[in-house]
Amino acid sequence: MDPFSSEGELLNIHNAFHSGQYQNVIDFETAAFSPENQLPARVLKLRSQLALGQTAEVLSAVSSEEDTPDLAATKALAQHTAGKTDAALQLAQDLAENYPDNATVQVLAGTVLQAQEHNDEALALLSKHQGNLEAVALIVQIHLQQNRSDLALKEVQAAKRWAQDSLLVNLAESWVGLRVGGEKYQSAFYVYEELATGPSTAAPLSVVGQAVAEIHLGRLPEAEAALTAAMEKYPSDAELIANTIVLNAVAGKPSEDLESTLQQTQPSHALLADIKEKSDLFDTAAAKYSPKVSS
Amino acid sequence: MQSSPNMLTKFESKSSRAKGIAFHPKRPWILVSLHSSTIQLWDYRMGTLIDRFEEHDGPVRGIDFHPTQPLFVSGGDDYKIKVWNYQTRRCLFTLNGHLDYVRTVFFHPELPWILSASDDQTIRIWNWQNRSLICTMTGHNHYVMCAQFHPTEDLIASASLDQSVRIWDISGLRKKHSAPTSVSFEDQMARANPNQADMFGNTDAIVKFVLEGHDRGVNWVSFHPTLPLIVSAGDDRLIKLWRMSDTKAWEVDTCRGHFQNASACLFHPHQDLILSVGEDKTIRVWDLNKRTSVQSFKRDLDRFWVIAAHPEMNLFAAGHDTGVMVFKLERERPASAVHQNQLFYITKDKFVKSYDFAKNVESPPMLSLRKLGSPWVPPRTVSYNPAERAILVTSPTDSGTYELINLPRDATGAVEPTDVKRGQATSAVFVARNRFAVFNPSSQQVDIKDLSNSTTKTIKPPAGTTDIYFGGTGCLLFITPTTVALFDIQQKKQLAEVTVSGVKYVVWSNDGLYCALLSKHNVTIVTKTLEQVSTLHETIRIKSATWDDSGVLIYSTLNHVKYSLLNGDNGIIRTLDQTVYLVRVKGRHVYCLDRNAQPRTLEIDPTEYRFKLALVKRNYDEMLQIIKTSSLVGQSIISYLQKKGYPEIALQFVQDPQTRFDLALECGNLEVAIEMARELDRPNYWNRLSAEALAHGNHQTVEMTYQKQRNFDKLSFLYLTTGDEEKLSRMAKIAEHRGDFTSRFQNSLYRGDVEDRIQMFKEVDQYPLAYLTAKANGLTDEAESILEACGLTEDQITLPSVDGPLNVPNPLVPTFKANWPVKAAGHSSFEKALMGEVGADEDTGADGFEVEEDDQDAVLAKETLDDDEEDASGWDMGDDINVEEEVDFVNIESTEAGAGSSEADIWTRNSPLAADHVAAGSFETAMQLLNRQVGAVQFAPLKGRFLEVFKASKTYLPATASLPPLVNYVRRTTEETDVRKILPVIPRDLETIASVDLQEGYAAMRANKLEDGVVVFKRILHTVLVNAVSSETEAEQAKTIIATAREYILAMSIELERRKLSTDSPEGLKRSLELSAYFTIPKLEVAHRQLALMAAMKLAFANKNYNSALGFASRMLANGGSAKLLEQARKIKSQCERNPSDQIEVDFDPFAEFDICAASHTPIFSGSPHVTDPFTGAKYHEQYKGTVDRIADVTEIGAPASGLRLFVPNQY
Repeated sequence: MDPFSSEGELLNIHNAFHSGQYQNVIDFETAAFSPENQLPARVLKLRSQLALGQTAEVLSAVSSEEDTPDLAATKALAQHTAGKTDAALQLAQDLAENYPDNATVQVLAGTVLQAQEHNDEALALLSKHQGNLEAVALIVQIHLQQNRSDLALKEVQAAKRWAQDSLLVNLAESWVGLRVGGEKYQSAFYVYEELATGPSTAAPLSVVGQAVAEIHLGRLPEAEAALTAAMEKYPSDAELIANTIVLNAVAGKPSEDLESTLQQTQPSHALLADIKEKSDLFDTAAAKYSPKVSS
Repeated sequence: MQSSPNMLTKFESKSSRAKGIAFHPKRPWILVSLHSSTIQLWDYRMGTLIDRFEEHDGPVRGIDFHPTQPLFVSGGDDYKIKVWNYQTRRCLFTLNGHLDYVRTVFFHPELPWILSASDDQTIRIWNWQNRSLICTMTGHNHYVMCAQFHPTEDLIASASLDQSVRIWDISGLRKKHSAPTSVSFEDQMARANPNQADMFGNTDAIVKFVLEGHDRGVNWVSFHPTLPLIVSAGDDRLIKLWRMSDTKAWEVDTCRGHFQNASACLFHPHQDLILSVGEDKTIRVWDLNKRTSVQSFKRDLDRFWVIAAHPEMNLFAAGHDTGVMVFKLERERPASAVHQNQLFYITKDKFVKSYDFAKNVESPPMLSLRKLGSPWVPPRTVSYNPAERAILVTSPTDSGTYELINLPRDATGAVEPTDVKRGQATSAVFVARNRFAVFNPSSQQVDIKDLSNSTTKTIKPPAGTTDIYFGGTGCLLFITPTTVALFDIQQKKQLAEVTVSGVKYVVWSNDGLYCALLSKHNVTIVTKTLEQVSTLHETIRIKSATWDDSGVLIYSTLNHVKYSLLNGDNGIIRTLDQTVYLVRVKGRHVYCLDRNAQPRTLEIDPTEYRFKLALVKRNYDEMLQIIKTSSLVGQSIISYLQKKGYPEIALQFVQDPQTRFDLALECGNLEVAIEMARELDRPNYWNRLSAEALAHGNHQTVEMTYQKQRNFDKLSFLYLTTGDEEKLSRMAKIAEHRGDFTSRFQNSLYRGDVEDRIQMFKEVDQYPLAYLTAKANGLTDEAESILEACGLTEDQITLPSVDGPLNVPNPLVPTFKANWPVKAAGHSSFEKALMGEVGADEDTGADGFEVEEDDQDAVLAKETLDDDEEDASGWDMGDDINVEEEVDFVNIESTEAGAGSSEADIWTRNSPLAADHVAAGSFETAMQLLNRQVGAVQFAPLKGRFLEVFKASKTYLPATASLPPLVNYVRRTTEETDVRKILPVIPRDLETIASVDLQEGYAAMRANKLEDGVVVFKRILHTVLVNAVSSETEAEQAKTIIATAREYILAMSIELERRKLSTDSPEGLKRSLELSAYFTIPKLEVAHRQLALMAAMKLAFANKNYNSALGFASRMLANGGSAKLLEQARKIKSQCERNPSDQIEVDFDPFAEFDICAASHTPIFSGSPHVTDPFTGAKYHEQYKGTVDRIADVTEIGAPASGLRLFVPNQY
């Protein structure tokens, strides 16, 4: 039986992971799982730890088990997160060459490759998947990062044919929807709203998705309500803070405090990097102009 | 044919065999005549027996209410017909005449007649007003089982065991008994001998038709209320339908189904149905048009004898061997679903309609559901899915069916739905965007289905589940007879369970946090995780509920609309004259559906529950608002507040000093308590106040109350403890004055005043004590003198040994000077709110200048703008920014690999507006554009705005874990998907600037915070500069805003320069006067210009420049405005007119046309050379050309420019 099917053991832990409930994944009771599902469950738990920033723990947990390609791939991802990018890349490339058919390798090595901007390698590896939804989601994300929403859309539509019910496909469709816009904003909103309000799926991730969709729909008060409520619950979630800053900017409100909070929680966040870059760009560009007569 | 095991039984009584039934036309009453000789009067709504009437001897078979009078009639096996008054609960009289059992009795709908049928083979008509028999109809040759009046015509139908049904014409009788017109001889004869038959037979009532067709005795006959139809029931087990015309009557058809004698039958008052009952223990419902069985209900043991219909409501009653049952044929609750501002509901015609709460309009029918279920069964529930615009309808037909139907986009009429998905289930609800759950009680299984109606999951609900409801996203509520369980569909596990019995309906609050579980008599409010919050009980059946936006549950019972707060506090909002089903509440309106499935709006007064809610939430401002604006007073609200522990709020309602005093003490508000005690001025109140004040440590109040009570001892002790020596000695004096020695002794002890004590002892002849005191305190001389006075010597006395004298400790802290810092009482946050509001009132009062929209001014501003435009056109360099021209788009449809262009790049291609380029992060091109359009050269002041716009352009959507978030671009074209038309969102649109920033600037002007004002207006200019608008009109508006901001910045800068100036030197003074004059030149709002004029006028007047002052005063008077200002202007004007000359010559000619140079703040007279700023339009002397504009600090004065673009045509 497909472990991710609606009757499978892995479904709930899998969904918890993809709706961003990392602590729930780590705490998930997996002892009763059948032997063949133990490894995927463990990988999910390790990935959750990574998502929560427990890199060192993960590295030490997998250090002695690198013979298992799944765990080796986890290690590559952990190394990447820890900042050892070269080692991670090396390992990921090795794995991609040796175990291209292993689902975990596809996803995790693919992630590492993509994160280090080896997009084509990542896509090549991922395209070998056999009905691996995570790989599909990753492919969609890569296409979107390359601004190829057309390809992303195709990928999603193909996946919908065989896995319409899956959370990941719904999510991936929403990612694309938020790019395409128009009526798709509303559909994406429904997906995230459903996640954000469901007790088993509520997490910062889904609230952010809901709020982002609302920002795109121009429904600022609703977005603000969602983000404010979530900020009280998860005050240090970087994406929550980042999108609240965006919302404030759209609404014409100041958010210096939040920017400094974000600086503390995740200095590497794309928003801060963008602002920094543009601020410098502004200064350089502005320097080119001056009045004819200085007063 | 089908049987429905769950008949909608509303009431059942237990008694002996019920032979006759009658509904009261208005009240919820039913009369039941029993085989045991009793007549019962029941309230079937409350289920109570109201009265019993026992005067008949033997079974009572016939019974009827009078349609309007408080009367009823009964007929029994004692051959008697009795007429009763149910108010006086007495039998009024008895009509005797029948010679055998009386089977049925009926009142005539209008005339004072009673119709009776009897086993003596006659039918008789009686006049109950003169209590006489007026007609006897003979012809049947067996027992007459039933005789009824036609509802409108002069006809009677009778059924007899002689196997015939007869129709009688009684128009002759009516003629005879109506007011006489012409009286013939025969009439006179007849009237003289009313009980004698005419010589040619009875012409009062003649047999019109004899209907033969039953081949056994006929038990019952009924007329159709409107059509010429008759239905009869017979011992041949058949129900026969007959039709008649003026001349003949014939049998139409037969309904076959009863397998025992059919006892009674009737037509449904509103629908094309026939109902019949029989000794086969069934109630059967037949289709009148097809004569087929629609429904049947079987009782286990009891044979049915009689059936009756309520004249107006959808209610029936049937009498059987052990009592009666009142029932409905169909549910009257219209199926409905609410989504945001829309109500979707199914009408009686089975059309789907929607109703818009905001606009109060009903849509035309959208869909016809005629084919759903069977024709006589209305749909039970509807569930709406906004994402797919689909509805899910259930019908109880065939033990439950559901249909999934897509609603058409526009309501164009009752179209038959296409593409309907259906299946078997009693309940069906949407649980997610693309999932719904259906429940099958027979298999006890819940299927989760997708929109193509295929099952994706199957869930086994708890045993005994009767219904399912939406349980919040991804969850279901399972309703069992005793519990409600919350079930997560995805995890397939039960999350929570609460024990509530008999839940019938579930109503979620608008925010999805709470849910109300409605049972027949209980409302239970639970959280979304099923924690019980409160529960309440109603004796009357609860029908429906809906949530107020503020979290108040509004629910309806059969006859009331009520509210319940989360904490369970509840009360009545209004009464109902008919049952309604609430769907929504908004402000003062409750929206509901009535039993005809018509949307209705009820007015309610939400004050009481809003107040209570505000109280619970401690929202004092709102409470205050309610107290002030509503008539919410009275003992009930005070006792409610007191009971809930809010005496300080109750205090606000009370006038009566005694109650106020009590409340003030309760909440520790001493000030009010003192005030009230003064008013009451009775010892008891002072006493209580002193105790309370003492508990507070408020010794000053305590002192006052002791004084009031003349409680000297306590006062002394109080002064002792507070260390107030001065007052203590005053107390001693008072004691001395009063001759109260005990008190004096006490006081001297407190004060440590030995002399006084000795003195006092001496005065009361207590010399030994005086001596002892003196001795003990080492006052030897005094001791000696006492001894001497007593004529004793020291040897003669034996003294006890004493320690050192007692010293009164000195107070370290002057406590008496002030109260202790006491507990913060008396100022509840409520009162603070009260005071705060008062303060706010004063503020607004002080804020003298109101912003007034002045048309004239607006026109002026517009004129300036037009000028500006012309000026700028001089610099028009042609449309040199051809960004809009055909740009080759990357063909994003291609399937080749490789990166596409980001939306930011697309934006820059789509738009020639600087703001859009800024949003796209393309700052260089944005700067280029601004440079060309308005000659911008100094960008530093725009940095904040640039970054603000840029920050608003992208959201960060976390996707795959461990990868950076997906960046999405926020558009202002939210509906657009064509990449050639999408454009970025630009924060702070024109509307915000006009409604927020501009007002802020005006406020700064009013408050005389000019530095702040300049900053605000500069920010406005920068915001407008980097912005986008959606129409030409808005672009014009933007120009007006720029001009306004320019004028204010100019005016404020002039005044700020003047304030920096020293006026010690004559030059300084002259310049100051000039600047104050120039301050009046920029085109400000009139109210603000008045301020400038006022300042200039005063300054000129103070410096004896009366002529200038006169000019300013005249202008002020011309402008009009607040009376206070004008009064001052008038005064100054009249003073200046006496000596219209200036002491200091200034460079200001009030009659010349000129502008002010924004750099030098000197006049530019019309015609003299000047340069203009391309962005702000500010004017400068020529020497400033090429420098940076002083108004917005961005652009170069006199630079070539094409004009600011804020609008992209064809994009919207």
